Amino acid sequence: MSEVLLVDSVLLFLVTVCAVAIIEVRSLYAVAMLSSVYSLLMALVWTNMHSMDVAFTEAAVGGGISTILLIGTLVHTRRDEKPAKRRLHLPALLVTILTGAALIYGTFDMPRFGDPNATIHHYRVPEMMSQTVAAVSGREGKQQPPEGYEAPPRMTPTAAEWAGAIHAIDEAEEALEEAQHSAPKASEGEHHEGAEEHHEGAHKHPTDDFNGHVPNSVTSLLAAYRGFDTMFETTVIFTAGMALIMLLRRRREEGEDDFSQRGATLSGQVILRVMTKMFIPFILVFGFYVITHGEIGPGGGFQGGVILATAFILYALLYGRNALYRIIRPRTLEVLAACGVLLYAGVGVACMLLGGNFLDYAALNAASPGDGEAMGMTLVEYGVGITVCTVMIIIFNQLAELPSNPSRRRAGAKAS
Amino acid sequence: MTELLGIYNYWIYIILMMIGFYGVIAKANLIKQAIALGLFQTGIFLFYISMAVVDGGTAPIWTTVGDGAVKALGPYDNPLPHVLILTAIVVSVSVLAVALAIIINIKWSYGTIEYDEIAALERATEREEGDADA
Repeated sequence: MSEVLLVDSVLLFLVTVCAVAIIEVRSLYAVAMLSSVYSLLMALVWTNMHSMDVAFTEAAVGGGISTILLIGTLVHTRRDEKPAKRRLHLPALLVTILTGAALIYGTFDMPRFGDPNATIHHYRVPEMMSQTVAAVSGREGKQQPPEGYEAPPRMTPTAAEWAGAIHAIDEAEEALEEAQHSAPKASEGEHHEGAEEHHEGAHKHPTDDFNGHVPNSVTSLLAAYRGFDTMFETTVIFTAGMALIMLLRRRREEGEDDFSQRGATLSGQVILRVMTKMFIPFILVFGFYVITHGEIGPGGGFQGGVILATAFILYALLYGRNALYRIIRPRTLEVLAACGVLLYAGVGVACMLLGGNFLDYAALNAASPGDGEAMGMTLVEYGVGITVCTVMIIIFNQLAELPSNPSRRRAGAKAS
Repeated sequence: MTELLGIYNYWIYIILMMIGFYGVIAKANLIKQAIALGLFQTGIFLFYISMAVVDGGTAPIWTTVGDGAVKALGPYDNPLPHVLILTAIVVSVSVLAVALAIIINIKWSYGTIEYDEIAALERATEREEGDADA
């Protein structure tokens, strides 16, 4: 605890300073850069607290895409915040201090940082673990904690006991495997409980089957335990892309004459151009790696999608959007964004057609439900990745395509 | 001391949230407000992730040993808050993007992104309309 807290306290101090600066600095470009710094610091905080997937997302989204979006907007709005009449807004200060004080009063009842007895580590843990630690094996087995797994007794276990519970799972698994080795071959043809079938599958493919456990439990929770939630998060992102097109398309048509600036590039920057051309293939490979390895290590559709999008955005920044449109047309992007969501939902429907529940990936591979899980999660991650990637490019294109000097304004603007 | 250190993270989350809250209320600039809303969100993210930590725990990613079996090598942090926040971060960038698009629309309609100037313009327009009616 002490090391985590030590690094934590330093980082969080920096984060707080950064947050105050974001609110107080008046140059909006500086604010955009500060918010990027803020996100990268936050990514360090997440890493320090062992949430690698969140750190990954924060670095890609907060440090990368958000900053590009902010700067893209500032081009069309204004550079500086209008100087305020008063430095401090007293009513706001009063409200925030009161709210903050009430919340801080509430924290005294919170479990202490890192306390293994906290309710969060016990409530519904067996159900959750049945889809992460446990044999995700067969449709019945999926709802059950693994054999030999006992939920830590509520409100009592220490870290050592917590470790012991996990150790018990391992031992139970080993016992199960041994039992299978010694089981008579005759029983192989019969229909047994999912766990056994699945373990046999594991022996057929020792290298690419996880014995029903997807190693990254975050991905496993994301795609299985909270599969519906993730599907609709993807839909939210899709909706955001569509909303942006609808909000900004009309404006673009009004300022059609300015459209020629679409090709603006940094053609003079030889070093940037050459280095970017060298980097882009690696960025793309890394993006696909992050999506595909989502269930093995940190990463997944959200992070990989954003990384893929940065490759395209970098290309568009240096070679102009016309060059980007030659590779991938705006219409294709819009169709692909919808395809990502459809792929996610389609996997769910495929599971239903194969006799399982919606998004019950084990149904995808009846012989080896563990493989089915892994395959379903990878497909779903690709669905998420495609949508996130294309929507990020759409958002960038929509912001970047706006003519910088609107020729028409509403009558009300005359007064300014 | 350790008692206080144990809730240090929760205090920081409140401070971050309140800095964001202050920005949303006090700042007239719409872009500032959108960013302040983001600060408010990260405060909540910090709250969730802090709750997930277990003493002596490590990342909730298991290890593949020799024959492909997956093992947990020790206590690990609760993965559920990580999942919630992972998706929340991506949704927050979508929210930011839509907010910025609306801000651009406002800029084009009113010529400004300062809230008080917009309100003044609206009031002026209303007054003009009222004069025309009279």
